[in-house]
Amino acid sequence: MKKMLSLILCLAMARSMLTGCGGNEQTQPNPGNETNAPGDVSEGRTVVENGTYRVLYSGEVTTLNYLTTGTTNEFAIGANVIDTLLEYDNKGNLEASLATEWTYDDEAMTWTFKLREGQKWIDHTGAAVADVTAQDFVDAMKYVLTPEYASSTANLVFSVIKNAEAYYNGQAGVEGADVIDFSEVGVKAVDEYTLQYTLSKEVPYFLSMMTYVCFMPAYGPQLDTLGASFGTSADTMYYCGAYYISKFEPQVQMVMTKNVNNWDADNVFIGTIQRTYNAEAGTIGAEMAKRDEIDYTSLDSDIVDAWLNDPATKDMVSMERPSIDYNYFYLFNFNMHKLNENYTTEGMTGYSVDEKYEPENWILAVNNENFRKSIKHAISRVATIAITTGQSADPHTYVQNTITPEGFAAVNGVDYTAQDAFADIMAKDFFDAEAAKSYKDAAMAELKKEGATFPVKVLVRYNPTDSDWEKASTVLEQQLEDVLGKDYIDIIVVAGPSEGFLNKVRRSCDYMLLLSNWGADYADPETWTDPFYQPLNDDGTYGRGSRYSYMATAIMDKTAAADTVLEYFRLVDAARAITDDIAARYAAFAKAEAYLIDHALVVPYGTSVSDFVVTKLNPWEGQNAPFGVSNQRYKGQKLYKEFMSMTEYNAGATN
Amino acid sequence: MIKYLAKRIGRSLITLVIIISVVFLLMRMMPIEGYFPNFDKMTDAQIQAGLEAQGLLDPVPVQLGRFFVNLFHGDLGVSHGYRNNVPVTEILADKVPISIQMGCLSIIVSLILGIPLGTMMARYKGKWVDKMGTLFIVFIQAVPAAVYYLMFQLYGTLLLDIPLLFDAANWKSWILPVFSMALGNIAYYAMWLRRYMVDESNKDYVRLARAKGASGNTIMFRHIFRNAFVPMVQYLPSSFLNTVIGSIYIESLYSVPGMGGLLVQVIKDNDNNMVQAIVLLYATVGVIGLLLGDIMMTVLDPRISFGTKEGGR
Amino acid sequence: MSSLTDRYMRKVEKSAEQKLQEKMDALSQRTGMSESDMFSFADYDEAEAEKTGYSNYSYWRSTLNMFMKNKGAVVMLVVMLAIIVFAVIQPYLPGQMDPNLCNMDPLTYITDRNIPPNEKYWLGTNVIGQDLWARIWAGTRNSLIIGFSVAAVEAVVGIIVGVLWGYVRKLDFLFTEIYNVLDNIPNTIILILVAYIMTPSMGTLILAMSLTRWIGMARFIRNQILIIRDRDYNLASRCLGTPTWRLIVKNLLPYLVSVIMLRMALAIPSAIGSEVFITYIGLGLPLETPGLGQLIDDGRKVMMNAAQRYQLIYPTILLSIVTISFYIVGNAFSDAADPKNHR
Repeated sequence: MKKMLSLILCLAMARSMLTGCGGNEQTQPNPGNETNAPGDVSEGRTVVENGTYRVLYSGEVTTLNYLTTGTTNEFAIGANVIDTLLEYDNKGNLEASLATEWTYDDEAMTWTFKLREGQKWIDHTGAAVADVTAQDFVDAMKYVLTPEYASSTANLVFSVIKNAEAYYNGQAGVEGADVIDFSEVGVKAVDEYTLQYTLSKEVPYFLSMMTYVCFMPAYGPQLDTLGASFGTSADTMYYCGAYYISKFEPQVQMVMTKNVNNWDADNVFIGTIQRTYNAEAGTIGAEMAKRDEIDYTSLDSDIVDAWLNDPATKDMVSMERPSIDYNYFYLFNFNMHKLNENYTTEGMTGYSVDEKYEPENWILAVNNENFRKSIKHAISRVATIAITTGQSADPHTYVQNTITPEGFAAVNGVDYTAQDAFADIMAKDFFDAEAAKSYKDAAMAELKKEGATFPVKVLVRYNPTDSDWEKASTVLEQQLEDVLGKDYIDIIVVAGPSEGFLNKVRRSCDYMLLLSNWGADYADPETWTDPFYQPLNDDGTYGRGSRYSYMATAIMDKTAAADTVLEYFRLVDAARAITDDIAARYAAFAKAEAYLIDHALVVPYGTSVSDFVVTKLNPWEGQNAPFGVSNQRYKGQKLYKEFMSMTEYNAGATN
Repeated sequence: MIKYLAKRIGRSLITLVIIISVVFLLMRMMPIEGYFPNFDKMTDAQIQAGLEAQGLLDPVPVQLGRFFVNLFHGDLGVSHGYRNNVPVTEILADKVPISIQMGCLSIIVSLILGIPLGTMMARYKGKWVDKMGTLFIVFIQAVPAAVYYLMFQLYGTLLLDIPLLFDAANWKSWILPVFSMALGNIAYYAMWLRRYMVDESNKDYVRLARAKGASGNTIMFRHIFRNAFVPMVQYLPSSFLNTVIGSIYIESLYSVPGMGGLLVQVIKDNDNNMVQAIVLLYATVGVIGLLLGDIMMTVLDPRISFGTKEGGR
Repeated sequence: MSSLTDRYMRKVEKSAEQKLQEKMDALSQRTGMSESDMFSFADYDEAEAEKTGYSNYSYWRSTLNMFMKNKGAVVMLVVMLAIIVFAVIQPYLPGQMDPNLCNMDPLTYITDRNIPPNEKYWLGTNVIGQDLWARIWAGTRNSLIIGFSVAAVEAVVGIIVGVLWGYVRKLDFLFTEIYNVLDNIPNTIILILVAYIMTPSMGTLILAMSLTRWIGMARFIRNQILIIRDRDYNLASRCLGTPTWRLIVKNLLPYLVSVIMLRMALAIPSAIGSEVFITYIGLGLPLETPGLGQLIDDGRKVMMNAAQRYQLIYPTILLSIVTISFYIVGNAFSDAADPKNHR
């Protein structure tokens, strides 16, 4: 167990970070550990001490209430104004923050955290109000688990904390759920500075979850008084993080001021963060940066090429640090049964797609492995990713051959995706027109025997609110038909509804091939099986899982792909069962995932494309993590007088 | 007249109730997914709790009834989706004043520029003033506002040497948004004033005045203008109120914290209470605008009486 | 809500209303003869007297004659027709590209991205290598189809409802109430709901725009009918037992032809203008159906960058020409179609 934990703590994110963790036997990171920032890149740029960082934002937060929100945009608030028990450093290592040390029992089911003493809650004027104590974590969790406040992240607490879901369902009056007392929930303040969590199951990634919003503290008495109004404005919450919100005028501006009382204030270099609202930030941001009215803006890929060619702006452009918080993949739809509003087939007849798309024909095709492989090898992922990256970035950087993105997790200093199971998959890009054509020939021969008709109609959907997705779908159609021939497939691109897209399309199976994504919920490869894995119910049916590809339909209908899907589920079950040997666990998950990809049950696509930016910060100095809110922290980042250049950015990347 | 007014206000109230009810029902047809930003990962119990918290689990008639009872007590509820749990009235109270200020200024500017322009165009009909004016009017109508607003901002700020974004404390930064907003109205007022004045100038009383030997300017301003202005007045309140409601383009581009685009935003956010409050506000404003327009017409032109105008505006 | 579109519509309505008023005034003034007629002596001539009973007046010929006198409008009409004709035949001309074809490298499938105008791509390409020349014409075609369809729906539904509303007194209260309600429901709600129920397409857009637009036309027709309904000649007709439908078709509608034409002519640029707004709030046409509004909104996003401004300028120019020509031709035609202006 001990060994395993130390490895978890070494979860590394960037590919360049994969060295130096192996064999590390230290169970508790040194709290005083100086962040070893790759600061050399700052040579030639002058640091502005305690400066004001000016930035535009186009999406206003709906609330400051970090305990209830579920959007990335709003996580940025909690991340900067509230400290968590642990935090990540700029290389992706977990470190002490509000907790100074922690222990766990032999089964790793009870975790005890020792809190840093003398930390204060401050209000929006910066005045100290009270001490941060263990009870604040308990009260915050009670708030999260109160149905009335409708926290969007409560489900993460359900997944690990003992009795959390039972308490919630009891309070919510769910049928058949008993009302239980909050004291039975697995969170307890042992004394003022000792906090104890009891888990519902052993999870190797528990510590990483401590950085998430639903495990943040909040001042209990204030939660009691304000209830639902907590965090509706700057003066209805208290702060304990690197910053406090000194001014919040919705759709005008938000000012975050450095909290000098914070335990780590020496590592907070920017004095004030001034965020100004502008709904057209994407259109005028670049011009404002050029006029030096703001210190950061992202650049549309269309503009980047021109900026990089212009000597006046060339040195102002750099990039966002690569992020793997979302990974994309093409889903094959295995379920053509019409689904009811609970996403089961109960009481429903007919097809989930319009009959003019020939669903029966698709069922034959999608269950044929050669058919799936022909598509897998015919998709040029680079071509569609290039739409978003522009000419100035290499689209290959963002292609992923695996579902779990590279750099998400590592064991013994080896990246998860570098394991033996992935050797063939990682060797080269899937795109191979020749291979695609030979799979096509094989598939045509096999499918004709089964009575399929050609061309197979393939319904591709996209959300019209995402213009890049729309463009990528257009290119995909043309590109696939060009490689495989119109005698074989007929790609039909149809816009989905802009409202309720996921419900109407992906969850209701109203598509055949769909670009989807998934973001990690915790730092363990298991999280990447969630979109595909469906649990077996007692009655022999399969649960709906995360309502992604409904692969279990193949098993239940006993179609050609049934055995393949069953084998994948079996491999995941086996991997999940391993909780005491992290290397074996990862290897088992890798085996399952490699199987999934090899048999083309899904086609991995790539990670989110990093924006080109104009920035006076250095993205390599910020905290970094494969999931959660740490990436949005300003702590540790320095403000420079000059904008960062591509050269400086690249120097930072290799550092 | 008072009887007429009372009857008319009574009918307007019924209209408002129907509008609100229809909008209320329409909003309830929106997909529930829109209520939750991370719907994907939530459990059923969480979704139910979320709907419960917003009172969406009750039958729609019950919800509607509750809404009207609360409205009667002056309670428009709290926002869900736009700014969670903040009272709707508070949000609107923040946003309405700036839009009113900017709207008033832009209306004043458009009157100051539009009326002389229209008058001059009519006075020198067919001359270069008229031609240039017509060109301007056609330009404003033909080129999408979304395009020339952006041009104005880009080059205007350089010319005035001011920041791109609006700053209420700096008087110079009011110029561009106010002027951009006024452009449409300037063209609009000039176009109609010119038209009315040209019409009037062919009327008998003008010929009589001319025959009597009154000077061109006297005829223009003492006779024609006064009569031509009457039909304009009818449209002033509603054009004023519409400008005050704000412009989605202008407010987005300059970061003016007003009402422009707010409705689009809250509809997209599925924020039922906000949508209802804003629709109520707009509909009220619309109804009052019509009423005011009719009253002003009667006051300015004694020939027009209320009774005959029933419904015939 | 869409203060711009709304204002535009009001403008259209008022323009027509005002014109009618003005024309009726003119008619009432022209009751007498000209001075020379009044004061010159004439001998009795039987043949001449017979002629007064005959007129070679033809409504359409007079309309045409009147219209041809307006040189500016004739030029605009030629421009307008040229654009319409070219938009229709453009795909059949040699050397034209498919507006939806993404030009890309045959091996890597990387697109010819944002290429400024050159010999191959006359107006350059967009981000996925589609030829803007082809897209702009396809966009014009689609935008015109949208404009004509919306105008047609508006005219048909608007006139039928408007005539009923104005002529059948019992329906007045009901229709007025419906009008007040529909007029006050924000278009955005309807647009978003339509977008939710249906997928974005030209049909959806036409439906969404037509759903409420006819009500303005109906209201306008109704007001005109109220004004004309009880004129003496109509009262006379009614006394003589003319059936209602005949009254409407023969006595009322001809009176309205010119204003209806004007409204129709203005509805087209107005619908195209609305498309720009609808695209701006994110409910526009899908990529496979280019529209001028969609092209302008795409171009707007890259406008800060001088090298790519061509993506904004060309569709804007075309949209402006279409709008101006319809506006001027519509106004001129409505003047010409008014029998009071026929001399």
